[in-house]
Amino acid sequence: MLVSSTSALICKILTLAGLFSLSLSAFAQDTAGHITGTNPYPYNTVDPREEVPEPIELPDAVLPMLESLSPVDIELLKSGRAKKYTGGADGIEETISAFTADELQAWVDAIRTVLDASIYVEGRDSPNIPLNTEPEEFNAWRVLRPRSLDPEREAGPIKLGRYNGFGGPQTFGGFPLALTKEDLIAGEVDVAILGAPLNMGSGWRDSGPRATAELRIHGRGMGSLDQYVLVNGSSVLKVVDYGDVAVDNLSTERSMEHIRSIVREIAETGAVPLIVGGDHSLSYPNIAGIADVYGKEKVSVIHFDSHYDAWWGGAHLISHGLPVYRLLIEGHVRAADYIQMGLRASGPDKVAFKWMREQGMRYHTMAEIERRGWEAVIDRVVAEASEEGRKLFISFDIDVIDPAFTVATGTPVPGGLNMRESISIVRRLCSESNVVGFDLVELHPALDPTYRTTQNSVHIIKACITGLAMRKEGLTDKHYLSPVSSEHAIDNYYGDQQKYIDATAAEVAKEKEKEEDDKKRSEEEQ
Amino acid sequence: MKTLSKWKRPWVPISFIFILMPLGAATAKDWPVPETLVGKVSALETNQQTFITSGDALKFLPERQLVHEIRSRDVPKLKVLINDIMTVATQMAYDPVKDMGAIPLNISNTDFHRTIVTPAPLRKMKREDGPFSVSRYMFPTSGISTFAGAKVAIYPEDLVAGSVDVAIIGIPSDMSSGRRNAEYAPRYMRAMKTIHTRDIQSLLDPMEVLSIADYGDFQVDNMSGERSIDHITKMVAETASTNAIPMMVGGDTSILYPAVKGIALHKGQKTFGLVHFSAHPDAERQIANTISDTQTIFRLISEKIVDGNDVVQIGLRGQSVDVDTLQWLRQQGVKYHTMAEINKRGISSVIKKVKKEVNRGPDQIFVSIDVSVIEPTQMISAGRIASNGLTLNDVTEAIRYLCAAKDIVGFEITDMSPMLDYSRLSAVNANAVLNACLVGVAVREAGLKPDYVHPLALSHGN
Repeated sequence: MLVSSTSALICKILTLAGLFSLSLSAFAQDTAGHITGTNPYPYNTVDPREEVPEPIELPDAVLPMLESLSPVDIELLKSGRAKKYTGGADGIEETISAFTADELQAWVDAIRTVLDASIYVEGRDSPNIPLNTEPEEFNAWRVLRPRSLDPEREAGPIKLGRYNGFGGPQTFGGFPLALTKEDLIAGEVDVAILGAPLNMGSGWRDSGPRATAELRIHGRGMGSLDQYVLVNGSSVLKVVDYGDVAVDNLSTERSMEHIRSIVREIAETGAVPLIVGGDHSLSYPNIAGIADVYGKEKVSVIHFDSHYDAWWGGAHLISHGLPVYRLLIEGHVRAADYIQMGLRASGPDKVAFKWMREQGMRYHTMAEIERRGWEAVIDRVVAEASEEGRKLFISFDIDVIDPAFTVATGTPVPGGLNMRESISIVRRLCSESNVVGFDLVELHPALDPTYRTTQNSVHIIKACITGLAMRKEGLTDKHYLSPVSSEHAIDNYYGDQQKYIDATAAEVAKEKEKEEDDKKRSEEEQ
Repeated sequence: MKTLSKWKRPWVPISFIFILMPLGAATAKDWPVPETLVGKVSALETNQQTFITSGDALKFLPERQLVHEIRSRDVPKLKVLINDIMTVATQMAYDPVKDMGAIPLNISNTDFHRTIVTPAPLRKMKREDGPFSVSRYMFPTSGISTFAGAKVAIYPEDLVAGSVDVAIIGIPSDMSSGRRNAEYAPRYMRAMKTIHTRDIQSLLDPMEVLSIADYGDFQVDNMSGERSIDHITKMVAETASTNAIPMMVGGDTSILYPAVKGIALHKGQKTFGLVHFSAHPDAERQIANTISDTQTIFRLISEKIVDGNDVVQIGLRGQSVDVDTLQWLRQQGVKYHTMAEINKRGISSVIKKVKKEVNRGPDQIFVSIDVSVIEPTQMISAGRIASNGLTLNDVTEAIRYLCAAKDIVGFEITDMSPMLDYSRLSAVNANAVLNACLVGVAVREAGLKPDYVHPLALSHGN
């Protein structure tokens, strides 16, 4: 508290001096993975999972056919990388037996061309995508608006409507708007919802400004009463709409550092950043931003997804398929603290599963659920997520849900969770574990001519806000449900309901007693 | 005055528009401080005064607002404001210590390049060169969708062997600065199966007059427009060198740059004109990314791939058409026709003028259409949608004429995002545009005049 109020004071002084609090806080941090200038990416990018194919022994029958080739050509045919084309020791004879000497030479040259063309060659290929650093508007996309441009006001969340906050422009859940770190501090904000319109995920590209806009349009229910637990998130917690973070939708990589700095800014105040987007590349800056505040390897992650997102292929260092691997190699999260839930897409394959096991990643596939049943797996997941009271980040890709409920996602995979299961697990995690951050990603509204996907996404966010509110209220028992809403308490139908009946009777008696007390007191006063 | 709004998509929420402040040209003009405000301004620090009088402040605040702020604030509050804006000014430019100056790639990856065309010896299927049908029937009515129901050609040898006149190519880039999904345009335009349609004026079916092939898609890197350019350029040049006319289906409009560059690689720079139907001038000069749809015309002209004097633009409107941009286009000699001109003079007289301008220009032209030029009621799928456009009929009539009147070196239709239109009407209308150019080329091939109308089509004669 002392630290934050001191830094708030410093911020105020700096703002008065015309300096930006962001530019300072952003670079005072450990910014592992932040790439500047024309520097290369500073981490080892070689994928340990990639198998180097063993060279082959050429069969004796083939050797006479290769007389016209040079020794270099023959070495090439022996190499493991050429196996794809030669057919290996077993297939090479059949492949080349019909060739004339000229055809054989052309074939070998073609293999060399392809193998050489696939890889990066220094001097021939650019190791990066150059940017035009000349324009004086280079950073315009993310330059912040000075507070002094607007009429002065107290720091704190702003209600946009004139009718007790209602009637203004749409915000997430109808929550007030916060624009700066000072607003979060002054408002003692618990949860800040940040839109992240990153639109580069492949599969589909509509998760940009439309996704955050539609979540605001349909988002009224985010802070409403949850009947299962009878907790109303918006009356327990101070939740704000923190606006959208700026992104460069021509480059995921270029957007990363700024998103990370805004997530960090939220977490530094102690508020839970709840990021909605946006494609799943976001997990990287979101979790890195959280780790900047709570420490490297200090936060566990539970990742809901039909895909494992720890792929490491292609020329790019970030995309919606790579964030997990990048987080691991930069050391923000330990592999052993990475829990995955709902996997069922065509990847990971055997090699990737083997690698995940070696890393100690804890995965829970739909296959496990099919074998053990939903309840058993969920108890296991919540227990893992709550281990040692560790801090937890939840990354929720809506494609973990069955496409029947969330068809508007970039890479849907059938056979997923239903909404009842999804809401329950998110609510449980947010109440039973120590959640410090949450993201919901891969919503592409245009894919759904109804509003179903957006509406269901809103209710996942609501489940998390409810869970966080339950935790604040001390309702952290395993799978807590309200004894009032889950029970009419008039008879003992299930045989274990006497406690509810007694509780109701006690409550009624207490009410009656209070009424009589009041009556007595008012009589005495008269 | 150039505005920052170009950075934002046209549909940004209103709350964001407040962030967008006008930016001046690179060199600011001095600002004469109004007499009544001189006293207030002279109370500021010297560097703050300079910031105001040099006109630099006007890059961030419109004059009306600057006057208001100076008048209404007391000196301490004015100092804070000016200081803050000066800080913004320092944050705008690239700083090699803080900012990413180039986007690094994973160079250790063995699939760094994914645009490798299979070399001949590695092609499994042995067959003669030439376009081939993908149907098992003589008169197919369904099956694998191809552009115009045409035969498929895979390699340049196929185009040569089939003496192909027109190669229709998909380029599924998806980097639009507007709404995205143009990646799907090639597959939907194939699926709608409405490209080859008999022309009502000449009663010609382009498929009967021309040898047309579906030349498949050119591979792009949809994580980076920059990394797609070289391959597209090379493939377009290679296609053109077979003497087939490349007719390209985007993809977003950033691929106009490599498409035209590829033609220039084969034909020579500045040897052909460019007619560009679009709501957007695409002449953005000052952004960090080196290629995007907003920059294509600027790059084509500034790299001398086409001569500005040989560029005609039709249908300009919307946020990015500002004084600064129009002035730049004028300086380059670009013949632009905005919706203002069309509203004032009437579409037919403007199209007449366009025809005249094109007929006076180079013999060879490249015709390009960003579907944003079309009125959204007929093209809801336009990525960078802009209200109040041309009708489909106006556009197809003009394109049909141009493709019949001139020697077409290339044609491109871009930025149609099919999934934004659940009726699929946009894909059907995009096909009509492509068909208009095919018809034009067929009319020319048949030796008819561009405005020829078959007597049977013109009147019933009774």
